Amino acid sequence: METLKNIFIKLGSMDRRIIFLLVGLSVLFPLLKPDWFTLPIRPKQHSQIVFDEINKLEAGSKVLLSFEYGPSTKPEIHPMTIALLRHMFVKDIKVYATALWADGNFMSTDAFDEVAAEYNKKIGIDYVNLGFKPGGEAVIKGIASDIRTLYPADLNGTSLDEIPMMQNVNNVEDFDFVFSLSSGTPGSKEWVQYATDPKGIPMSTGCTSIQVTDIVPYVENGQIRGILAGMPGAAEYEELVKMELKSMGLVIKPGEATSMMSAQSMAHVVIVILIIFGNITYYLTRNNKRKGSK
Amino acid sequence: MSAEIFGSWIVVFLTLCIFSYLFDDNPFYKAAEHIFIGVSAGYWAVIAFWQQIQPNLFGRLWPKLEDTGEVSVLQSAWYSIYKVLNFISTGFGALDRSIFPEGGIKGYDEIRLMYLIPFILGIFMLLRLVPKVGWLARWAIAYIVGMTAGLRFYSFLNSDILIQIKASTIDFSSDWGTIINGLIVFIGTLTGLIYFFFSKEHKGSFGTLSKIGIYFLMIKFGASFGFAVMGRISLLIGRINQLKDYSTAEYNYATPTILVVIIISLAIWSFMDGGKKKESAA
Amino acid sequence: MFLKRHMPLFIVISIGLLTLFGHFINNTTIQNFVDNDATQWFDIIASFAIFLGALNMLKLQMLKIIRKQNNWQYSTLAVLGFVVAIFAGFFYRGANYIVVSNVNEINLLPISELLTDELHLENQNTVMSNISDAEDGYEIPKIFMTQSGAEAFMEKLDKFDVNMEIKSKKWGVHLQAKGSLFSWIFFNIFTPLSSTMFALLAFFVASASYRAFRIRNFEATLLLVSGIILMLGRVPIGELIPWWVVAILIVFGVGAISAPWIKDKKIFFGLVVGGIVLFLGVGFAMGWNQSPPQILLIPVIQDWIFDYPTTAGSRALMIGIALGIVATSFRIIVGIERSFLGE
Repeated sequence: METLKNIFIKLGSMDRRIIFLLVGLSVLFPLLKPDWFTLPIRPKQHSQIVFDEINKLEAGSKVLLSFEYGPSTKPEIHPMTIALLRHMFVKDIKVYATALWADGNFMSTDAFDEVAAEYNKKIGIDYVNLGFKPGGEAVIKGIASDIRTLYPADLNGTSLDEIPMMQNVNNVEDFDFVFSLSSGTPGSKEWVQYATDPKGIPMSTGCTSIQVTDIVPYVENGQIRGILAGMPGAAEYEELVKMELKSMGLVIKPGEATSMMSAQSMAHVVIVILIIFGNITYYLTRNNKRKGSK
Repeated sequence: MSAEIFGSWIVVFLTLCIFSYLFDDNPFYKAAEHIFIGVSAGYWAVIAFWQQIQPNLFGRLWPKLEDTGEVSVLQSAWYSIYKVLNFISTGFGALDRSIFPEGGIKGYDEIRLMYLIPFILGIFMLLRLVPKVGWLARWAIAYIVGMTAGLRFYSFLNSDILIQIKASTIDFSSDWGTIINGLIVFIGTLTGLIYFFFSKEHKGSFGTLSKIGIYFLMIKFGASFGFAVMGRISLLIGRINQLKDYSTAEYNYATPTILVVIIISLAIWSFMDGGKKKESAA
Repeated sequence: MFLKRHMPLFIVISIGLLTLFGHFINNTTIQNFVDNDATQWFDIIASFAIFLGALNMLKLQMLKIIRKQNNWQYSTLAVLGFVVAIFAGFFYRGANYIVVSNVNEINLLPISELLTDELHLENQNTVMSNISDAEDGYEIPKIFMTQSGAEAFMEKLDKFDVNMEIKSKKWGVHLQAKGSLFSWIFFNIFTPLSSTMFALLAFFVASASYRAFRIRNFEATLLLVSGIILMLGRVPIGELIPWWVVAILIVFGVGAISAPWIKDKKIFFGLVVGGIVLFLGVGFAMGWNQSPPQILLIPVIQDWIFDYPTTAGSRALMIGIALGIVATSFRIIVGIERSFLGE
């Protein structure tokens, strides 16, 4: 018993590089040996709400998809984007992309390049990429009032008047749904404050895990309908889209987020174990000090 | 070696340089950090010019107008300034391309001279770098601050206060479970707000309510911590996944090769640096 | 004094009032200005602020180099990185592409096959339909950084009797063209550096949690428990935690809360063990192994914590912060808050 206590107390002053190594290995092993760590993914209520909202939209509906993330948060959000685009393209929903972050341009181009060809979707007819404008809330206000003042042309320099699917689309009220892929400011919050709330347009969001607790009040009262929370949210949405496409007789490539969930789970378990060990060590050290002082 | 493979080696090298910080602050990390500072500053400047300044500012001051054959004297004089900009941007005629297209910038169909105001304010912003006239930047900052204050006053009042208060109401006509959950949210919100009221001392029943508020806030912070961990681990998985992809023969075993080189270099640096520290201590 | 102090204040107050009352004034000119032009001016000035930041960074790094301050050698890398990004943005487009026209029926299939193979495209039929639909020539979906790269690719199509032309993406559009120099810099330098900087935090979060996350009081316990439940409940592994583990933890939790009132350690230990045995006995007897009650499943507990107590705390914070912002905005608009002037 004493030996065990001493081991725990020694672990308390472990070099942090060992902790780094443990965390690194907990992520690496499941990625190297995915077959050893297969875990079921069960979609949660909020991911289901997002899926149902998109599923409700009819063919030809207009969805404004806003890219507010960059390469630094790509692992969390990009899988959601791909799953979302697959879902919308299969339902023949018209996708209008915009970006409030400069990096969002590359993310949007990447996503469309990957998914559009799979479903034979053409730019200008099935989707349009308006691109990035700096200004944050000011840009959202501009989209809420008059898109053409803000965007004379799309990302490729084609005038909006020459794009067939931009006919009769003048501001946010002409969209049936807004979806914000958000990893900070400006993001979902600003969409709620400056566009969807004032104009009464339904919206949903997929955001990084860090933002989730700040967005949850909007989700709870319906200002934002459902939320895809980080990589687990992305994996859940991928699962839902996979089941939906399977029911339609279509097969899709495995989702990126799904393949990374086992690594996510292992890392969480390791961190929880480290926290518990840390507290056991603290408790034992505290008791020793008390006994010593007596 | 193709651009793609060369690119993959650069990606692996820079990623491992940043990760080397886990061992200790070292030259690889410092070098990568400084490259990041320089490249991101340049990247943002380029994006700001091409996405905003050129189309929305210059595009409104000098739009490419329809050629009606009739050009007024004032318009000619105005566009002569544009021709000067065009000439300068071709390196005084040395290069055959220009970042200012011939005849104007395609996009808008009328000249909006009022956009000279943000242009001038923008120049004032840049004058911050010149100590004697740096105070002019205050005018530009004043515009930004005033605009943000006006925008936020209304939007935060509406979305973050009024609608949130409305959402905290309880629907007593629904089932018991919903009512209890609604009460929990209402009590949590109210007591949380009571905690933030520092104009009254937190004693007695007020103190008790404030304490309950703290409990709700602690649960929120615990959830935030959980999500923060989740987010960071997700990003780490993304990086390690990419390193794993670049460790194959297709990319000439970039990851293991660079990893071994960096480990050996760090070992040598650590040994030499440790020796230098001992000498200086002596 | 007037220009340095009063003029900025005048600008803040007038723009602030205009932006705020623009929501309520029913005048087309004012609303147009507030909704469109005012926001555009904001964007433009914000862009100049970005230039200011970049130039300031350059100034600081250059001063470091000139004065040979500590670690000045690294500053040369910062300046070099900046110069390379500016070069790719303003001086060298590196966004060449090939337009193929005059493709006859005989060549359509082999050209589509070649392009699908060389460029690893998804769907050959899509390529074929795009080539035949293109009235002004088919733009090969690949960007070449150099003219010579484009010419080398053209040689592969020389055997077909088609017209080919090398064009360059317009200035501005060249930034987004995947394969251009700027996008190469973005994907191979900027992206790995920024992503890895963020990913590094994962290690430090783990290390900090191990060293500093302690159950010192009830509040810290709440924080820890909700954090752990969330971390486990949000990921698939939470589904695998059996109901009896949660049952044992609940008994431990109740025991920990009631510990201050039970002085005798033997009685306390007996109650805890008895509680566990009772709980598990009832569970197995009621067949909870096959269908456990929702309340004993980590993902369900996690969902409830997320939906209700977390929402309450977040809402309280949100309203509190919003009240602060509204108050500060009001102070700015009426000219009381002058910290932005440096006062």
